[in-house]
Amino acid sequence: MRAPEVEVLLADDNPADAELIMLSLGEDLVGRIHHVHDGEEALDFLLCRAGYAQRTFEAPLRLILLDIKLPKVSGLEVLEEVKRDPRTRAIPAVLLTSSRLEEDVVRGYQLGANSYVQKPVQFERFRQIVHQLGAYWLAVNEPAPSRGFSGESQ
Amino acid sequence: MGSAGLVPIEILLVEDNAGDVSLVQEMLFRTGAVPFSLAIANTLAAALGRLRAGGIDVLLLDLGLPDSSGVSTFTSVHAQIPTLPIIVLTGVCDPSIALTVVQQGAQDFLVKGQVDGNLIWRTIRYAMERQRGRRELVLSETRVRQLNESLERRVADRTAALAAANRELETFTYSVSHDLRAPLRQIDGFSRILVEHAGPALDSKSQHYLRRIQEGTQHMGRLVDDLLNLAQLGRQDVHTRATPLDTLVNDAVSELRADWGDRRIEWAIGALPMVECDPGLIKIVFTNLLSNAIKYTRPREVAKIAVGCTGSNGRCTIVVRDNGVGFNMKYADKLFGVFQRLHRADQFEGSGVGLATVQRIIHKHGGEIWAEAEPDHGATFSFTLGHRGNHSAAEPA
Repeated sequence: MRAPEVEVLLADDNPADAELIMLSLGEDLVGRIHHVHDGEEALDFLLCRAGYAQRTFEAPLRLILLDIKLPKVSGLEVLEEVKRDPRTRAIPAVLLTSSRLEEDVVRGYQLGANSYVQKPVQFERFRQIVHQLGAYWLAVNEPAPSRGFSGESQ
Repeated sequence: MGSAGLVPIEILLVEDNAGDVSLVQEMLFRTGAVPFSLAIANTLAAALGRLRAGGIDVLLLDLGLPDSSGVSTFTSVHAQIPTLPIIVLTGVCDPSIALTVVQQGAQDFLVKGQVDGNLIWRTIRYAMERQRGRRELVLSETRVRQLNESLERRVADRTAALAAANRELETFTYSVSHDLRAPLRQIDGFSRILVEHAGPALDSKSQHYLRRIQEGTQHMGRLVDDLLNLAQLGRQDVHTRATPLDTLVNDAVSELRADWGDRRIEWAIGALPMVECDPGLIKIVFTNLLSNAIKYTRPREVAKIAVGCTGSNGRCTIVVRDNGVGFNMKYADKLFGVFQRLHRADQFEGSGVGLATVQRIIHKHGGEIWAEAEPDHGATFSFTLGHRGNHSAAEPA
């Protein structure tokens, strides 16, 4: 058996928030989430470079959860680059953030965010929302077929 | 001019007729009670040249000159130095010319042959005196205008500074309340997870403490949300349109339905006018006022809440009245302040932001809001919505 594939990239610099998000996504998912702490590392991971050079674009990433306020490279900048690059464009990207500044929401959608979710203060509500997010993007949503590796099979 | 006796008066006589020149000269010298010097110009060009050199206090001007004649002689000179007193001295008595030049600013109009030395000197003195008064008037007018301008500039500067400070404060409030949300969520989150994790094993005291933590975070969460809304309100523009107020009230009442559960409330919602306002914002006003009315009538077996309108002809006042616990008018000035509360939190919950929000919305509409109450005898909140285009009676939407 191989180690489970990473299916979700979580970019959040706040360890407590990240832990709450992972708890809310559900235990069965935890092994399939990769957590990065800043925007630069998020891009390295997504674009398979620097410390993640051994990663390949064939790995089926099914969801990016992005905080807007990230150190080094902001969440919006990460989003911009991911949506510009044809190799990563099809991965659903959800902005999961405390901000509800209108300009952030507008900018997020302009850059191609697939969803914009404000983290509620109340944890019960927060858990519900994050859980639904995970359920939708990982179970309901049909991912885009990856063009670069057709024919690859078990 | 108290020193007039010491400084000679400089007179310029503009006259092309040599005989008239000596006549005037003689009259001036014979009756001159003050020191003076007399310059003579026999053409308009020479007169203008001499005036440009400066120092002339008063001008005796003949209108008929070799290079100019009539009223235009006067206007040419007057245009060059508007503040110089000019006495027109001419050979013909033409009343229409006399009137014209005096209207245009000549100090006097004298006819040669009808003047003597005393009259000339008196005319010169009065002319100089009048001109001095006029100069001072112009000067003080200029000063007043300058003061006004500088005042306006200062008001504009202060207003801009105030607006900038307000903006900064709102941005600050916004980012503070925004950044407060994350740690709050974490406290709430981990305390709940702790309950789930260790709940059954915890003794009742520990469970009580954890509940207290959660109550605290929930309350702070509401505070932060209300503050955020208030801050956002400051940045928001008012978009008005003709709005039926009864629709807003009915919407607000149905939104609040869950707040009163199975309590008995007698609603009395009177006819409300069509009003020019921002419907989204005014609905927030009604939601807040009615939610307060529902809250503060809680001890009543039968709560009575009335919404109505008084006044007419576009100056109506909207009134929201309840039979709740009311408040002491002594504290009425605190009512609309942020975080100001008149009731204990364990009796009536609340963040103290609602009425501040209401007042801000009303002010943004150019209106006023006030309250009347008596402890234990209910409260009445009244507001107007400015006077811009408010319709008087209910009109079809």
